[in-house]
Amino acid sequence: MRVLMFGWEFPPYQAGGLATATVGLVTGLLRTGVEVTLVVPFPADESILPGFRLVSADGPAESLRVHRIPSPLGPYDGAERYTEVFERIQSRRPIGSRAVYGAHLFEEVERFAALAGGIAAREPHDLIDTHDWISFAAGLEAQRVSKKPLVAHIHATEYDRSGEGGNPEIHRREREGLSAATRVISNSHVLKRQVVERFGVPADKVDVVHWGIGDDRTPPPSPAPSPFPPDVPVVLFLGRVTRQKGPDYFLEVAGRVSQFNTAAHFLVAGSGDLLPRLMMRAADLGIAHRVHFTGGLHGADVDRAFRMATVCVMPSVSEPFGLVALESLRAGTPCILPKTAGVAEVITNAFKVDFWDVDDIANKVVALLRYPVLRDHLSDLGLQELATERFSLEEPARRTRDAYQRAIEWGGIRG
Amino acid sequence: MTREICLYAQVHQPYRLRRFRVFDIGTGAGHFDAQQNRDILRRVAEKCYIPTNRLLADLIRKSDGRFNLALSLSGVVLEQLADYAPEALESFQALADTGGVEFLGETYYHSLAGLADLGEFKTQVLRHRQLIEHRFGCRPEVFRNTELIYWDELAPTILELGYRGALVEGADHVLGWRSPNFVYSAASAPALRLLARNYQLSDDVGFRFSQRSWGGWPVTAEKYADWIVSSPGDSAHLFLDYETFGEHQWAETGIFAFLERLPSACFDRGLKFVQPKTLVRRQPVAPLSFARPTSWADAERDVSAWLGNRLQDAAHQRLYAVREAVLRSGQPQLMEEWRRLSTSDHVYYMCTKYFADGDVHQYFSPYDTPYDAFVAFMNVLQDLEWCAKAEAPEVRMAG
Repeated sequence: MRVLMFGWEFPPYQAGGLATATVGLVTGLLRTGVEVTLVVPFPADESILPGFRLVSADGPAESLRVHRIPSPLGPYDGAERYTEVFERIQSRRPIGSRAVYGAHLFEEVERFAALAGGIAAREPHDLIDTHDWISFAAGLEAQRVSKKPLVAHIHATEYDRSGEGGNPEIHRREREGLSAATRVISNSHVLKRQVVERFGVPADKVDVVHWGIGDDRTPPPSPAPSPFPPDVPVVLFLGRVTRQKGPDYFLEVAGRVSQFNTAAHFLVAGSGDLLPRLMMRAADLGIAHRVHFTGGLHGADVDRAFRMATVCVMPSVSEPFGLVALESLRAGTPCILPKTAGVAEVITNAFKVDFWDVDDIANKVVALLRYPVLRDHLSDLGLQELATERFSLEEPARRTRDAYQRAIEWGGIRG
Repeated sequence: MTREICLYAQVHQPYRLRRFRVFDIGTGAGHFDAQQNRDILRRVAEKCYIPTNRLLADLIRKSDGRFNLALSLSGVVLEQLADYAPEALESFQALADTGGVEFLGETYYHSLAGLADLGEFKTQVLRHRQLIEHRFGCRPEVFRNTELIYWDELAPTILELGYRGALVEGADHVLGWRSPNFVYSAASAPALRLLARNYQLSDDVGFRFSQRSWGGWPVTAEKYADWIVSSPGDSAHLFLDYETFGEHQWAETGIFAFLERLPSACFDRGLKFVQPKTLVRRQPVAPLSFARPTSWADAERDVSAWLGNRLQDAAHQRLYAVREAVLRSGQPQLMEEWRRLSTSDHVYYMCTKYFADGDVHQYFSPYDTPYDAFVAFMNVLQDLEWCAKAEAPEVRMAG
């Protein structure tokens, strides 16, 4: 089976979990014998590719082809990490020239799509896979040329990113891609429900494939240096500092926890438009000296943050999946996650909360800091759980391959 | 070939905790969720206790006492019945008035005190005996510990407390090739008789009754009576949760129709109903030795459903570590609260065995996860400990 895949984020051009998910999915697909031609709009990180070759002894990495489309965006000269947030992009303020979602985003998307037809004509493939609205246009153009079945992979919608006040053009493109696709793959049941209810996609057209994470990433250089003494508890928020991820709830939790644990420090790892407000709020709460803002983290620093944390809190307002929870558990750090997150459908050994219930979250953080036995237990069972097949890279890849197969069969039926 | 049936059922409901958060510590907020406990008790009373009591009383009367059984009610369920569903308590008393029910002894709080503190264990057993005498006018002669937890070291204490026999699990690792359908004696206290649960026949009703995927389904009273007769031994000991009738197995499964037909199906096959107090007067066939605590729970038949992970161990140890401090406070209501915390259900909710499979443990839990159970319990315990310290006589004198 040969897949022509259109992505957007790919290391080092990464604003969030989409890059991590794409790398994981492609790695898994190659291991399950699917040939992948990945097309991304940025120069891909060379260091990622040899890494793939290393982990696959029987050498399926040869079947990975990454097309680099010449881009006005500058070449890679230093990682732009967890870059600018989507809301800022919408306001079209000029931002860094290497941003994943640049100032002229729709033009970039169109240019990407214009090149997709040519690639589809050249590259032999059995179906087309696209990731979120940003590559839907490219997928549609490729399909117009090759007439192959189109799969729309959905990781998040504009409703998740921006609530009800999203960009109407993005909504339009999401609807167009989802309805034109032969099949849709959603990363959780909660997101599938949204796709069905908000976009009118028939439920039987949507397959749910939860993400895996795998355990073969190169471990960070150990011992990971931490700025905190070993007896200082660290409570971590990691993610974009935007409305969707609920960093403001995290700060309210920090205020409450600090009343019970005078030693605890709080780490806000990520960047985004809510940062200034958060810093003001930390000062108001009288805990400015104990809340640390790291900005966006990348690569080994992400692992380092998880490892120095005593507990990771994820108060996301909307979280179609929530890969951060898996990354936290893989680092052995217990995680508090929202009940409504996609990841809550598959993880059992974690606290599950209402993102707005800051008293409840604080109560759980205090307990985790107070009782090492609770921490150790969650850490051990979390690691055990992650070691099961469903969280591997292969299992989601196999399910994706099955979904591809259905798309090919459906495509055949529809002619 | 078995000729007798000994039917016994356990009635128990814990005092469930409020969602007690760290912010509630020291505020004087209550520890128990009266609303939830009332709602659950009333629901179970309506679905199980009242209809089952009525049916059993009818069956006893119609058979002139040839049909009979044994029950045990924990002290905490009796208290809740009196407070929340007095009509259900009356129906238990009406059932007792038929003369066909033997009441067994247990710990008042359905606790694990036997595993932790024998002094506390004795206190709770004696309090339970007083309550049963008060409510039902009879004195238990046979003992069943919480969840049938029993091991050799407990036997002398049970005997010392005045019981002739105890109910135990007919676990494979204890019985080996032997049938549970005999009266045994305790190896560590030969005067104590042991009645071993026939888990196969008991679970056919308790767990498998409504399982359509099971080869034995559907279980009719006639088929079940045939199984009992063909089971090797003298007397089949069928020990169940009382909530099996109407709660674990809903009325729609046909469980009440099964129970209604069971006595006549048994009489037709020459089977007799016999109570524990009668059996423990018989000569035992052999001694049984339980090297480690054995219970009727899970495939392991050990105590790992309550003390099987570090959270449960930590909570259990902390509970008994603060007992002295609570006692010293001289405040009876604090000791009462401490004892309600000793109810085994609280640590059962922290069980993570098979948690990932979403099994039976979670079905009975009022919490989203075992971790929530741990946090609520530890917060309450912390609050209780600080209340006790504040009330301690020496502190008051110093103040």
